[in-house]
Amino acid sequence: MLNALLLMKQELAVVAIIFILLILKLGKDRSNVTFLNIVNTLLLLNVVAGFFWNSEGVLFNEMFRTNPLMILEKNILSLGTLIISMQSYSWLKTHKHVPEFYILLLSTLLGMFFMISGGNLLMFYLGLELSTIPLAAVANFDLTKRQSSEAAMKLIISSAFSSGLLLFGMSMLYGTTGTLIFSQLPAALNGSDLQIFAFVLLMAGFAFKISVVPFHLWTADVYEGAPVAVTSYLSVISKGAVLFVFVSVLYTVFKPLAGAWYNMLFLLSLLTIIIGNLFALRQDNFKRFLAFSSIAQVGFILIGISGSSQLGSTSVIYFVLIYIFSNLAAFGVVILVSAITGKESISDYKGFYKTNPVLAWILTIALFSLAGVPPTAGFFGKFFLLMAGAAKANWMLITIAALNMVISFYYYLRVVKAIFMDKNEQPIERVAMPLMPRLALYVCIIGIIATGLVSYVYDYIHSLTAPF
Amino acid sequence: MFSLKSITDSIQVWLSANLGATGALIAQCVIVILLAIALFAVLGLVLVLMERKVAARMQVRLGPNRVGPWGSMQTAADTLKLIVKEGLTPDGADKFLFNLAPYIVMIVAMLLLAPIAYANNFQIWDINIGVLYVTAVSSLGVIGILMAGWASNNNYSLLGAMRSGAQIVSYELSAGLAILTIVVLTGSLQISEIVQSQADGWWIFKGHIPAIIAFIIFIIAVTAETNRAPFDLAEAESELTAGFHTEYSGMKFALFFLAEYINIFIVCAIGATLFLGGWMPLHIGNWQAFNHIMDYIPSSVWFFGKVFFLIFLIMWFRWTFPRLRVDQLLNLEWKYLLPISLFNLLLVTMIAILGWHF
Amino acid sequence: MSLVEIIFWFLSGLALISAIMVLLSKNPVHSVLWLIAVFFAISGHYILLNAQFLAIVNLIVYAGAIMVLFLFVIMLMNQNAETEPRSKSTWIKLAGAIAGGCLLIVVVAAVRDSENLIQNIGGKAYAKTAVTTHGEIGLIENLGRVLFTQYVVPFEISSVLFLSAMVGAVVIGKKD
Repeated sequence: MLNALLLMKQELAVVAIIFILLILKLGKDRSNVTFLNIVNTLLLLNVVAGFFWNSEGVLFNEMFRTNPLMILEKNILSLGTLIISMQSYSWLKTHKHVPEFYILLLSTLLGMFFMISGGNLLMFYLGLELSTIPLAAVANFDLTKRQSSEAAMKLIISSAFSSGLLLFGMSMLYGTTGTLIFSQLPAALNGSDLQIFAFVLLMAGFAFKISVVPFHLWTADVYEGAPVAVTSYLSVISKGAVLFVFVSVLYTVFKPLAGAWYNMLFLLSLLTIIIGNLFALRQDNFKRFLAFSSIAQVGFILIGISGSSQLGSTSVIYFVLIYIFSNLAAFGVVILVSAITGKESISDYKGFYKTNPVLAWILTIALFSLAGVPPTAGFFGKFFLLMAGAAKANWMLITIAALNMVISFYYYLRVVKAIFMDKNEQPIERVAMPLMPRLALYVCIIGIIATGLVSYVYDYIHSLTAPF
Repeated sequence: MFSLKSITDSIQVWLSANLGATGALIAQCVIVILLAIALFAVLGLVLVLMERKVAARMQVRLGPNRVGPWGSMQTAADTLKLIVKEGLTPDGADKFLFNLAPYIVMIVAMLLLAPIAYANNFQIWDINIGVLYVTAVSSLGVIGILMAGWASNNNYSLLGAMRSGAQIVSYELSAGLAILTIVVLTGSLQISEIVQSQADGWWIFKGHIPAIIAFIIFIIAVTAETNRAPFDLAEAESELTAGFHTEYSGMKFALFFLAEYINIFIVCAIGATLFLGGWMPLHIGNWQAFNHIMDYIPSSVWFFGKVFFLIFLIMWFRWTFPRLRVDQLLNLEWKYLLPISLFNLLLVTMIAILGWHF
Repeated sequence: MSLVEIIFWFLSGLALISAIMVLLSKNPVHSVLWLIAVFFAISGHYILLNAQFLAIVNLIVYAGAIMVLFLFVIMLMNQNAETEPRSKSTWIKLAGAIAGGCLLIVVVAAVRDSENLIQNIGGKAYAKTAVTTHGEIGLIENLGRVLFTQYVVPFEISSVLFLSAMVGAVVIGKKD
């Protein structure tokens, strides 16, 4: 009994936090500051507890399984949630529905945990839904802005559409194999036309969730309209969770179809990198800019996945970790600035260095890491991804990817130039940094530097991933 | 003891002997259809008259008393009038849906007659999920009502239909949960088995207080579901003229009117089946002599007696309680009835598991 | 053709025609009503598969509750042909039709192909299309047992899903 509980420790922890929040909400009125302090402490405890009592096992007829790799993935997500929660301190301090925000956000986290741990396509699907539907409500949390509602609407409709594709694919898969259990699927897959077709539909569903071109159309609008904290959650945590599942599903369940999905990944990753980069070039809104840059990053991740080797899954998980740090550092600055000044366009950031040197440096390091400039972790992440992709000796793919890295340098550095060199009559005034966001930003910066330089991180992940 | 089974059996034997298997099936279908339509007509006539008589009695007046002895032919005359009246279709109405709506309401009401056990061994279709079937099909009637309200191209009609829809969808929950309490006690959804399980006592007696609570909730919910006063917001005369059937006249109006009464009959029949033992006679413990006397009353008399008692109850409500406002109506459901019935269901489940019922 | 086959073809035809009418109707209310017809046809299919409970639940949940809410919203919005957005250009329609047709061809080809594979291999049919091993799986006793033993976790998680969706809806919809 205790053993079974330990297997589900992270899920139980999140559920416990949700219940504590519920009790706090029902209890006497607390100020938002007290509430945020309590929540962040709880989330910190959750992250810390995640590293202890690791165990491996299967529960409920393989509906739920866990192993150290999954625990690590969940910890990465918990850490990211903590960072976002700390960063959105300034935004939430004046918000009316803080407890609800956290209850919804944590239920999506719970959904992601179940999605990662699900040993059955049904569980995977339910986890995916649980991780998107409350998020649509949260995307509407700028209650006075129309754009926010629009974002929520677009998110819910596009996710409903992609769920439809997923379910259609799953039902066909069930029709041709007679099972939904991950451990039984590989033996039943034989690559018949119908199965390939079902797989294409599944792939399209996944592609929607991680906004791979040509399924990316919702991304920019949703990212722009949603509150910044939610945007960063969408672009980092929910995308990361789906990527984790995507890798493990492709590498274990759909291994018999490896030939088919390699071609698809090849095409999708090329399209994604090129279109993501080209559109990022001409964005002025910071959130749209980061949206397209995140699309391009997913393209690189797909190259890593297409490597079909242990290096592939290791590098993907490693890159997601780095991506969480770098993207959250960038978003953290945007959250702070937008919560206080309401400015979100890149041209507003001209002369940012003059007034906010610390934030300017943090943003710069984050952008360097996103671009993949050597001393930062982003470089190592992309390097390993391309290495994994190169294992297939598809040099065209690698060359185009490398060329695109150069393009991406251009637009990332354009922002850096705006921050440091461009003159501005009315620069963003000095932004006060409360303790929590400051801590979160420092954690991100340490993460950006250390994850790349300390090779233990990579080795640890590599020791957990299974050989292909 | 008198039983309809011997009659139905002999008809079955005679038909299959003379017409072969397929022929017998078709002939039986025809007989069932004819019986159902006859039941419809008779029920419509009787219930409308009963309503008017009960209302008159409550208000200390005589009610219909000119046509036929004690006014018993009044509804027949009214029906005749409605048939010869012109059926109008308003301008700007969605003609097809406008004309389709009354038939949908009617068909739904007719479908509901199928699984009801009218007497011992006298049932059209003993489907194994009979109770659920009733819930499902009765929830479809609202589509006809919404259609009628929308297609009339009239604001009163639309508002009436909306109210009716909100009401039916919400009250379905408590009605369903009340039904579930008995399903939990019985362990079956089949109407015949539910009736059979009450051979040693009706559930309203056997199921302790929770069954009584469920019964009360069921009666309230079905009163609302059939759009009867005090829940008749959908056709509140003072606010909405006549609600969703404002624009209907002649026979199409008559169909709505008839369907309303048939629906009352059906929900009362379900209530009688679930809580009052269907056609089972009243038996009290070991009173052998009493039980024997009760057994001599035919089962169909028991069934219809119970049903008409419940119908009388619902008519009684109409002249006792004032009409609710919309917000009161929805509050009553979502804030009181639903939590109570959920808790009640839990209680009944406990009773059923621990075997505390008689 | 046996009676079951006749009913099957009738229901399938009804479902397909209604589904097409859902798309072609100019008036959204008509679309919803056609959709209800689709659900009826599908419920009929469930009954043919000896899954009465699913059929009835399909009726209660979709035709009885969800579609009624759909009707509510659409009727109150009072949309009709005039308020519809300007229709797309012919080229886009053509492109859509061609793309959809291609998809249809692929699906049909894939399904036909998997049928052939069953015939070729004969005994090892289970790998191609699932074979219902027993016809009683759709009855309520069996369904309930499976739902509360083997599939209890997904069942509970779906309730969490609905709960959180409800919380979200209430927070957004609250006036203050």
